[in-house]
Amino acid sequence: MTGRRLLLPLAAALLALPWGVGGYVTYLLTLTFIYALVAIGMNLLTGLAGQISLGHAAFFAIGAYATGLLTQRGLLPFPLALLAAALLSTGIGALAALPALRLRNLYLAIATLGFGTVVQKALFEWRGLTGGGAGLELAPPHIAGLVLNNGRALYYVALAVLALGLWCAGNVARMRTGRAMLMLRDSEIAAGTLGIGIARFRVAAFALSTFYAAIAGGLYAYLVRYINPESFGLGLSISFLGMVVVGGLGSRAGPVLGAVFFVLLPEAFRGIKDAPGLVFGLALVLAMIFLPRGLAGIAPRSWRLT
Amino acid sequence: MIGNLILGGLAAGSLYALVGIALAIVIRVTDIPNFAQGEMAMVSTFVAYSLLDRYGLGWWAAVALALGFAVLQGVAVQILVIRPLIGGPVLSAVIATLGLNIVLNSIAGMIWGHETHIFPSPLGDAPPVFVAGVPLPLDSVANIGVALAVILGVTLLLRYSWAGLALRATSQDAVMARLVGIPIGRSFALAWGLGGLAGGIAGVLVAPALFLDTNMMGALLIKGFAGGVLGGLSSLWGVFGGCLVLGVLENLVGAYLSPSFGDALTFIVLIAVLTIRPEGLLGRVRMRKV
Repeated sequence: MTGRRLLLPLAAALLALPWGVGGYVTYLLTLTFIYALVAIGMNLLTGLAGQISLGHAAFFAIGAYATGLLTQRGLLPFPLALLAAALLSTGIGALAALPALRLRNLYLAIATLGFGTVVQKALFEWRGLTGGGAGLELAPPHIAGLVLNNGRALYYVALAVLALGLWCAGNVARMRTGRAMLMLRDSEIAAGTLGIGIARFRVAAFALSTFYAAIAGGLYAYLVRYINPESFGLGLSISFLGMVVVGGLGSRAGPVLGAVFFVLLPEAFRGIKDAPGLVFGLALVLAMIFLPRGLAGIAPRSWRLT
Repeated sequence: MIGNLILGGLAAGSLYALVGIALAIVIRVTDIPNFAQGEMAMVSTFVAYSLLDRYGLGWWAAVALALGFAVLQGVAVQILVIRPLIGGPVLSAVIATLGLNIVLNSIAGMIWGHETHIFPSPLGDAPPVFVAGVPLPLDSVANIGVALAVILGVTLLLRYSWAGLALRATSQDAVMARLVGIPIGRSFALAWGLGGLAGGIAGVLVAPALFLDTNMMGALLIKGFAGGVLGGLSSLWGVFGGCLVLGVLENLVGAYLSPSFGDALTFIVLIAVLTIRPEGLLGRVRMRKV
């Protein structure tokens, strides 16, 4: 219950924040919201359904490129483009999850790793569409005639989407679907004997997580306004997984905490090139050994997803 | 032309195979795909480089010491990182190896920097050998030979030594192995040590062919996985064959279709095999009791 009581002041603070801090901090906060969105999706996949993906940078990239291209070429307005990109990515995600139907965790990790690398390659090579290694520059987006040309506007958009995403994930986890996925994680055999369609829920968990990743990717494209295949590699995929793990697998606050941790880390070690990587990697290893519930494990029970 | 491509592909494939064997040994015993294998090999290679460059050791002495380090590194990783996670979900151990991957990369960057170094080969200046009329650098021939020797050595060790027998027993059924008095902790450590050794050998052989830098093993790790999955991770000869086929295919596709497609092919093959025949071409399905 303490969680609920904190919610209102937290929301007020988040709404007021961009007026009190500089542009760079607003940017960092927006980036945190975006990463948190991906992490929420990963949490449904890994924390809830117990599957691992090393390819989510690909879905993040598909979201970014599809949103960018659809708006840039005047095909769809920004909000619709975001949604269309996410649906496209979900479709691809569902297809990509097909091998997952037959695979144990070990092989799923390898398959998604391969998938992520193919998508990155394709973005490099499909120059006519993506601009290849030269990248893609984007003009500020419009929503209903308003031009979102300052950081604050996008901050609020990202905040709203994050709030919606958190709410939906909470509902999914609480409902039938989430309970089925949880069962899948703990024992597939038991889930099967109870009549839970293992294949269906595995694909559903994967597709859902790619939806989150693609929405986040679309927002990211317009946050940085310059996207390049280089940024969507294996390192990013591992980071997404790492955020959920450090934040706390299967907890509601975990993905957000993980995203905060991930964005703050390079800021804390500005100028020391390898230090953020070292700390992030160590955090992953140590979290697994000593703190399997992650940062959120320290938080009160009512904040947990399951 | 085509002969050259095939032999070059075999040479590249045997490097993938060394990484693939390292991964397969560890997976066979502990069921964990070690995503830090590549970076562990990279660190061992840098150790060899430091011994050569800073301490002025001869090539063979430096490499022998570095391979000793590779074995100890594998054992240390198993004891410090993996052992506390045994018995938990495989997912935790996989994530720990991913974390270790980042840690090792960062540490190597801090010690040796991110610029590229040149790592010598003892065979660098030797004249090419002619195989079926095709000139082939001696390095490439050596790669194939070393990969064969390693896989043969590991196979013999597994089949005829007590430690190998214990290791196989552990991989079949850890609980049963412990019941009959096999120190399974030692088997796990041995598997990771052997994995470290095979990876380290791959690193020392790759470095002269490419350059030595902190990211050199990233692509090789993925190809080791891909080749291993293609041939079947449960069989060492399957891993070897799968990696060779992958190396040759890559070379041929790269030459005749498009250079950039050669790389993508790796992953298309990987995903196709996983979808159609996850146990690999030569792998056996491991039945598990419910």
